[in-house]
Amino acid sequence: MLLVARREIVERARDRSVLISTGIVLVMIALFTLGPRLLGLGGPDDYTVGTVGAGSEALAGAVAERAPAADAEVTLEGLADDEAARAAVRDGDVDVAILDGERLLVDSELPGGLEALLQESSAQLRVSERLTEAGVPAQDVGAVLAPEPLAVEALNPPEDRGDRDAASGLAFFTVFILYGQLFGYGMWVAMGVVEEKSTRVVEVLLATISPTHLLAGKVIGIGLLGLAQLTLIATLGVGIVLLTGATQLPPSAPAAIATALGWYVLGYAFYACAFAMCGALVSRQEELQNAITPLTLSIFASLFLAFVALSAPGGMVAQIASFVPPVAPMVMPVRVTLGEVAAWEVAASVAVMLASIGGMVLLAGRVYQGAILRTGARVKIRDALRAR
Amino acid sequence: MLELRHLSRRYGGVVALDDLSFNVEAGQMLGFVGPNGAGKTTTMRIALGLLAPDAGEVRWRGEAVAAATRRRFGYMPEERGLYPKMRVRDQLVYLARLHGLAAGAAAAAADRLTEQLGIADRAGDRVEQLSLGNQQRVQLAAALVHDPELLVLDEPFSGLDPVGVDVLAGVLGERAAGGVPVVFSSHQLDLVERLCESVAIINRGQLVAAGRVDDLRTASRGRVVRVQVTGAGGGWPSAVSGVTSVQRDDDSWLVGLAPDADDQRLLDAARTAGAVTHFSAERPTLTELFREVVAGRVDEEPAAAPVAEAVGR
Repeated sequence: MLLVARREIVERARDRSVLISTGIVLVMIALFTLGPRLLGLGGPDDYTVGTVGAGSEALAGAVAERAPAADAEVTLEGLADDEAARAAVRDGDVDVAILDGERLLVDSELPGGLEALLQESSAQLRVSERLTEAGVPAQDVGAVLAPEPLAVEALNPPEDRGDRDAASGLAFFTVFILYGQLFGYGMWVAMGVVEEKSTRVVEVLLATISPTHLLAGKVIGIGLLGLAQLTLIATLGVGIVLLTGATQLPPSAPAAIATALGWYVLGYAFYACAFAMCGALVSRQEELQNAITPLTLSIFASLFLAFVALSAPGGMVAQIASFVPPVAPMVMPVRVTLGEVAAWEVAASVAVMLASIGGMVLLAGRVYQGAILRTGARVKIRDALRAR
Repeated sequence: MLELRHLSRRYGGVVALDDLSFNVEAGQMLGFVGPNGAGKTTTMRIALGLLAPDAGEVRWRGEAVAAATRRRFGYMPEERGLYPKMRVRDQLVYLARLHGLAAGAAAAAADRLTEQLGIADRAGDRVEQLSLGNQQRVQLAAALVHDPELLVLDEPFSGLDPVGVDVLAGVLGERAAGGVPVVFSSHQLDLVERLCESVAIINRGQLVAAGRVDDLRTASRGRVVRVQVTGAGGGWPSAVSGVTSVQRDDDSWLVGLAPDADDQRLLDAARTAGAVTHFSAERPTLTELFREVVAGRVDEEPAAAPVAEAVGR
């Protein structure tokens, strides 16, 4: 059995596709975390504002002061006169030029964020000028314009919004990667079984070891490779996120990742046996797609339900799905990552899953033994069970 | 010595083997022949423990076969039996290790065999990159890599060119000479006749003939005598008592004799009819023997099929 498992790992790890798929997933993580910044989204907006004349400086100063609150960075640039301002705007050296604190000069139109910033600053500047003229003491002007906000007392304070988003992002990736792993590695098991059956290698192998050991070795070997790849992706993925600092990791990340790995093992055990069973029924790779259709649909349904759980982790659908063995491995990691699940639910879900894995192992083992030597037409599950 | 004792096996309602028994002695090369669907592959699978018989047992050196014993058997299934994408040497080492060899011994055996079969320079290639002839050599190497105590091969000669046949026959002969019982199935009966001292012929899951090829040929269907007589008329043999059939081709007659008939009376009759230039006992070839025993059995079956066809129309 160890020999079989070892062969599966060595032969498949040699295949470049494992490295390539790992690379693709990591690139996607990098794009997802760095992408918004590369596209100029998300990060602070950068503006350059030119000023002409002394009257513009108060406004420019107010704009620069307000900028951080509006998630923008403003660079000021003094310009000699209107002509210089026109040239700077036309060449794109500045986004806008303030002429004598009265007019704005732009090439075509103002970027939305900058326009709001300028108009609000201007309005506030005028109000504070009026207040000062009306005799309000200078030190009180600020308090009048920006009074203390009302204190809010929450009975159920929400989590930090950033954490919440980060947790959603992590859950999204977990679902996406689990989907790929379950489907990809399950498929490998099925194709491996069909390969052995169609080439009759299985007859040579079964002359030396029992079908149970052959099947177990294959499933375990491929599963370990999958787990190794998943661990690598998790490690490097977290590394990328931490190194670039592009996105923050939610505090629940280590637990969430460990949970995802655990559910991968459970989900893989279930699906690998099912895939092996379907593979044993057919004699040619071409027939495999048909034979595994129920599994493809089941994994696809899991993906769909996992997305439902992503938007409503505590909802009825997510709660029920947690106890349906074929979909639980993708739904539960989402709920755990988002923290919307009770400990008893996790325990019960794992228990149901373990029981159904046990059942699937028995069923798949019987069908595999009954069908693996029958080449030719597709074997019916019932016939395979009846065979000895 | 391999003993198959009273093996029976059915698939659903279909009887694949029905009380089949025969032995393969140490150092014997046994040809296992029968029409398609006769149960050859089923028999081989049962011998190797891939299938369990419904009744009967397989014994090796006088004992029931245990899993550990079975690992020392060598088996070559019909067509391929190799991982197409695995490298030749890795594959041989892997199979040797499954058969219980330690890593070092497995590697040494793989190297020795690839050398011996002339595929050492392809040992690092994937099987699918090799020519068909070389793939068959790898397949043979896979069956031999653990130095098996018994060799069972399902249609090993099908698809081989004459050179490949000679290589394979040579290797199998070598193993048999070394005391290993070798059983192979084949439809190429002239080849079986050339290579094997003994055959087992099965039809519809039952053994219909087994033993030394020479004995079977001599014992079959009474006797046939070939007589060449010049200047003889047509009907001379029919006057002899015990003649069962007569075929004439110019001056040559093939005369069938009942088991108790006296061939000397036939010779006398021939000499009376003309000048005898040739008189010999004609033994059937294995192919003729095969047709006879297999067709004979088929004829004995109730002629249900044609009737059903006629009714169907």
